[in-house]
Amino acid sequence: MTILEVKNLTKEFKDQKAVQGISFELYSGEILGLLGPNGAGKSTTINMLSMMMHGDDGEIYFHGKRVGNHKNLYKRQLGIVPQDIAIYEEITAEANVMFFASLYGLKGPELIQSVHRALDFVGLLDKKTRKPKTFSGGMKRRLNIACAIAHEPEILIMDEPTVGIDPQSRKHILQSIKQLKEQGTSVIYTTHYMEEVEEVATRVVIMDHGKVIANGTKEALKEELEEEKLYEIVVDQELGLLGDEWYEIEGVKQVDMEGTCIRIATVKGIENLDKIISFLIDKGVRIQNITSLSQSLEMVFLKLTGRRLRDEGE
Amino acid sequence: MRSIRGFQVVIRRDVINLVTNPVLLMSNTIFPLVLMIVLGYLTEGMYGNEVTSYQYYGLTMLIFMSLNVSITAANSFMENRIRRSNLRILYAPISRSIVYLSKMIATFIFTTACSYLLVLCIYLMFGLPSKGFTWFYFMLILTGLNLFAATLGVLMCCIFKSEEVSNQLLSIVNYSLAIVSGLFFPWDGLGRVAEWISMISPVKWVAEATFRVIYDHDLAFVLPTLGICIVGTLLLLIGCHRLFNEEDYI
Repeated sequence: MTILEVKNLTKEFKDQKAVQGISFELYSGEILGLLGPNGAGKSTTINMLSMMMHGDDGEIYFHGKRVGNHKNLYKRQLGIVPQDIAIYEEITAEANVMFFASLYGLKGPELIQSVHRALDFVGLLDKKTRKPKTFSGGMKRRLNIACAIAHEPEILIMDEPTVGIDPQSRKHILQSIKQLKEQGTSVIYTTHYMEEVEEVATRVVIMDHGKVIANGTKEALKEELEEEKLYEIVVDQELGLLGDEWYEIEGVKQVDMEGTCIRIATVKGIENLDKIISFLIDKGVRIQNITSLSQSLEMVFLKLTGRRLRDEGE
Repeated sequence: MRSIRGFQVVIRRDVINLVTNPVLLMSNTIFPLVLMIVLGYLTEGMYGNEVTSYQYYGLTMLIFMSLNVSITAANSFMENRIRRSNLRILYAPISRSIVYLSKMIATFIFTTACSYLLVLCIYLMFGLPSKGFTWFYFMLILTGLNLFAATLGVLMCCIFKSEEVSNQLLSIVNYSLAIVSGLFFPWDGLGRVAEWISMISPVKWVAEATFRVIYDHDLAFVLPTLGICIVGTLLLLIGCHRLFNEEDYI
């Protein structure tokens, strides 16, 4: 069932087209990974979805109704985990969640139950009386999530919720997201960590230059690239321009060079690694490392955007 | 109903944030009191017995503190750590106006409580003439000025989208107004031009109204002062409503 439908959403800033007529859907109970290199338009899209920014054109439909006409109804069912931790440092974890949950109309015993449920969900119930200023970065991130889910939203938008945290907290957060999905919450998830998307996302939307350039399940997107193999070779010196020489090697389809790192896409089924190595040795360079990249979302992303997800994100 | 409850919840939170901020608490209570005592002590010989230096600076520093309510408002509205939490308030299904209105009202409540506390202090410490109703009118003037200044601080943030810029500008404006209105020293004595400049400062008239109420029991300036503060506040609020933009918080 479609819970959220984005149609032809557009946003321009002065002379820059941040989002150019994007369309996608969010289905009930799925985790949608929204990916893209920096400047792809993800944040602008999230800001428009969270009603913090008005689009220039296009519509967002929540359960088939235009959100512009039912703004509060939509916002009531929306939980947002912003990239920056948005909590009060000076009041207890419980008071934080209670304050934000009460803005959604919760009160009395229902409010207290919801707050405790949210804190328990993120593993902070036993620390409810502590102030966030005494928390680690990971605990603050978890409290940031608790503040967004206490009112039990149908849709949860998470904007890089695991930035700069310890592995234990990251694991906890990823587990929580999967658990939310099991409970029927639909999640839009952005991150710079492809392994997280591989782990939690059921479907992926890839954006670049303000446009949706791929939309589908992880499996479907990977299948699209299965006719290729990708090698990443690190050499000891920059090769300079070699022009068409690369393409004289049988099977080589595309070569991208970044400094001393060479990424070579070759036709699947043609064994040409020995020829590639010989070619490099003939050019007088020493090979320092060779990686055969298996079919992954990272490869899909790389092929579509020409960049790794974390190239500019870190 | 949900919006009204949301409004109450946010105001309560904002008041608590202000009260628990040691810097703002000090700058609205201890700092003006110390300023009154220091200036009063330093200029003791320059004032007579009818209006002592302590009484003079007690009253003028209260007015100066009221002007600086605008800076407290800017802090409560866009201070970095508050700003991020405000973003989450904007995510909630409540009116966007609640964000700036709550900051303005919370600042007004907090600073007015501080002002009343200081009024009590100067009344007890500096031997000001006592006549119940005159103090009531004086507090009314301060209340009106606090309301105006709180709204001004919020409007400046709506215009400049930054606490730092707003505070820098407000500091310049507040100190300039305080100086030309004679809150720190008798500016009028610097000549005719200075006197003329002083006449066009609204703060000069607030000080005039204050001294007339306290020492002459003359209420003539009270209503006009209050009226101007209230009308000014309403105009500034219209400005806030037009200029406040959720996108500024992103």
